[in-house]
Amino acid sequence: MSNFSVGFRSSGHIQILDLKGELDAHTASELEAAIQKCQANNQVHIIINGASLMYISSAGLGVFMAYIEDIRELGGDIKIAALQPKVYNVFDLLGFPMLFDIIDLEADAIGKFDPSNA
Amino acid sequence: MAEKALKTKVNEKWTSRLARRGLPVLLLALFGLSLILSVGYHFTQLTSGTPPSNGAEFLYFTFVTVGFGSLWFWMKGYFQERNDSPSKLLWSVLVSGLFLVAIAGFTARFGTVTAGGVELPLGFAPGTGIPLTSPTIIKMMVVSIAQILFAFLLLHRFQQLVLVKRTRSSQRNWFIMLILMAAAALLTVTKPAGAPQNEWQNVAFIPAVVFMLVNAFKLSWIVFLSFKEKVATIGLCFALVLLLILGLGIGDTGSNILVPRSFDYLEFFFVPLASFVKQASMFGILYCMTAFLSLLFHLPTTGDYEQREGERATIFSMAHLVSQVFDAEKLFGTVGSAPVEAGSADFSWLAMPDYQSGSLQYRVVSTHNITSERVGELINSDLIIEDLLTDRMPIIVNRASTDHRMNVAPGNSALGSLLVTPLIARDEVIGALFAAKRVINGFERDDAETIAVFAAQAALAIDNSRLFEQQVEKERLSREMSIAREVQKRLLPQNVPIMSGMSMAASSVSAQEVGGDYYDFVRLGEHKLGVIIGDVSGKGTSAAFYMAEMQGIFQSVSRLADSPSMFLHHANVALGQSLDRNVFISAIYAILDLEKENLVIARAGHCPAAIVRLSGESRYIRTPGLGLGLDRGELFQRSLTEESIALQPGDLFVLYTDGVVESRSESGEEYGYERLLSLLEDHRHDDADGIHAAVLRDLRSFIAGEEYDDDMTLVVLKWHGIPLDSLISQEHPLHETA
Repeated sequence: MSNFSVGFRSSGHIQILDLKGELDAHTASELEAAIQKCQANNQVHIIINGASLMYISSAGLGVFMAYIEDIRELGGDIKIAALQPKVYNVFDLLGFPMLFDIIDLEADAIGKFDPSNA
Repeated sequence: MAEKALKTKVNEKWTSRLARRGLPVLLLALFGLSLILSVGYHFTQLTSGTPPSNGAEFLYFTFVTVGFGSLWFWMKGYFQERNDSPSKLLWSVLVSGLFLVAIAGFTARFGTVTAGGVELPLGFAPGTGIPLTSPTIIKMMVVSIAQILFAFLLLHRFQQLVLVKRTRSSQRNWFIMLILMAAAALLTVTKPAGAPQNEWQNVAFIPAVVFMLVNAFKLSWIVFLSFKEKVATIGLCFALVLLLILGLGIGDTGSNILVPRSFDYLEFFFVPLASFVKQASMFGILYCMTAFLSLLFHLPTTGDYEQREGERATIFSMAHLVSQVFDAEKLFGTVGSAPVEAGSADFSWLAMPDYQSGSLQYRVVSTHNITSERVGELINSDLIIEDLLTDRMPIIVNRASTDHRMNVAPGNSALGSLLVTPLIARDEVIGALFAAKRVINGFERDDAETIAVFAAQAALAIDNSRLFEQQVEKERLSREMSIAREVQKRLLPQNVPIMSGMSMAASSVSAQEVGGDYYDFVRLGEHKLGVIIGDVSGKGTSAAFYMAEMQGIFQSVSRLADSPSMFLHHANVALGQSLDRNVFISAIYAILDLEKENLVIARAGHCPAAIVRLSGESRYIRTPGLGLGLDRGELFQRSLTEESIALQPGDLFVLYTDGVVESRSESGEEYGYERLLSLLEDHRHDDADGIHAAVLRDLRSFIAGEEYDDDMTLVVLKWHGIPLDSLISQEHPLHETA
């Protein structure tokens, strides 16, 4: 039924979440669970890869808002990479680029976490 | 008129009463008449001193038969409605029998007649049977009537016992017996009083006796009696047998004990009646004796029978369970106490998961003869329920003190044995019914089976009760939601304001009953109007609450803020205290000043407003700005940028929520910003109503029957450029759209 899924990858200490499909009020809980899992595993360097994310609703954006503060307090961050233009527009309209690192390429996002590797 | 009507009514009442009471009165009158006639008949014999003629004898035969027939049917009607318990019934027969026998016995002993030196105890002339004195006639009448009444009473009352659990054949056997008895009695009419019966008359008795035997074994009522009632009934039967043997007696002459020569007076009165009374007496004795013996044999098994009955009653109470589905607590009570009520256990309780709190931990929901605390002390419910959930079969614990799941010390008689039965509904264990006894080895296989049958029904009833509760809850919620929707509707403006030179149209629809979209207008002066549109993240009830808060903030803060960015800043501060971390509100606030002929607009993360000019020039006003609640500090204020637009006649401003541009067609394509803007360009010459309607029409044809899955709000403002001096302020009802 749900046309949303979260894939887990890691690159060193960085947890990469591949979002696929549509993130809305019904599927937001799946992303919540995924981020909670990262938190529980003490993985606070998180990259959200939105290459396959086709749609995001305000409820989906809310998930990022819910966790960013905690993650940053733990010394980590959520960086958002590779968004589709249409989805980026939704982030942009709300001013998310002022709050989050939103980067075109995943590799650049990794580089931002690990300046030494870049 | 009224008087006549009243009279008719009284008459009707009188006739209907006659119809109801007429028959019994007629029967009693016939009986009374026959008594008078028979007294007259005997006095005629006494005075004439000669036996009656054949004709007179025939007449006597007729009216006595009719008279006592009437008495029989009167009594039948009288006792028909009675439905006493067997012991009460036997008691009433015994008491009235004693009374009647006492009257007969006393009267019969009162005085004797001596004629020609011979003592005649009865007072009838030997040979002819003519009464010798008038007291003889009175004595004969009294003794006979007392005995006949006893016999009739006995038969009418015993009919109720014989016909307990009646079937067509048992009813038929009873009436055949009565008819055979009457027939055999009538055949004795030719027999002189005091003489023995002839062979034919003897033979005629045989069928009656056969049916007496058949009816004497109709003793179904005995099994329904409790132990105490049985003991009492044994005594009553014994007393009745004694009374019948001593008072009436068996055989031709009857007993000579309580009533001297008991049947002789009757024979002189009317031989067939004597025969009938003898037969009734015989049946009474027979029936009481079979009842007596049967009761004696049933006594030892009464306990078992009562337990079976209890279990049966429990099974039958299942129907009762169904009627309790509307009251879960009561239902739990009934189910929890059933094993005790059925006589299968000393104490019992029902444990179920606590669905209300959402926990699957079992807890005791009802108990019988024990408290929930005591249950907790005696057994480890978790272990038992774990086993029950795995095996889904009843568990019998024969010796509680040796079972690891119990906390019972050896020798402790608080809990001896335990039977745990799962309640299974729709293939799921929904509860556990515990039945416990103080003795060890208290539960047999058949106990487990009986309770299992009950448990299956109980599970069904509980499941239904739960479904019913859910349904009620659903309906309650939907009622509340529709109230919420009405309340929310009232939070939105009921009218669009009218400003000369402007036309405006607005509408909002929610995907669910309530939504998070908001729009509003505020008058800031004669020529100044504030317009807001907002969208709370998420949908449904939580969004609706924040939307209401937004409305409150707008109505109170908008008049105090000089500029749109100032208002949004205040709103952000106010909302910052109540918004959840994952909730934000996007909004646009614009102030229209017709005096200065400009529009100042600020955007807090909202879908950008569209402006379309008469020339066809069109764009989205995408000033920077964070959504409300995304940052609670300075960043928000820094991010906000206002834009001031000088109004030109024909300028069209369209505010909307993302539900509009994100509406999807059947193929999943989004409506989008381009399509919206080009549609607005096409309709730029229309007034606000026309443009509003055109957008909704286009949206509807675009989604082509798909459901709106987001809240959708559209506000259209058009400046027509009418001179300021003609400005008026009035309002008119909001255009019904969407």
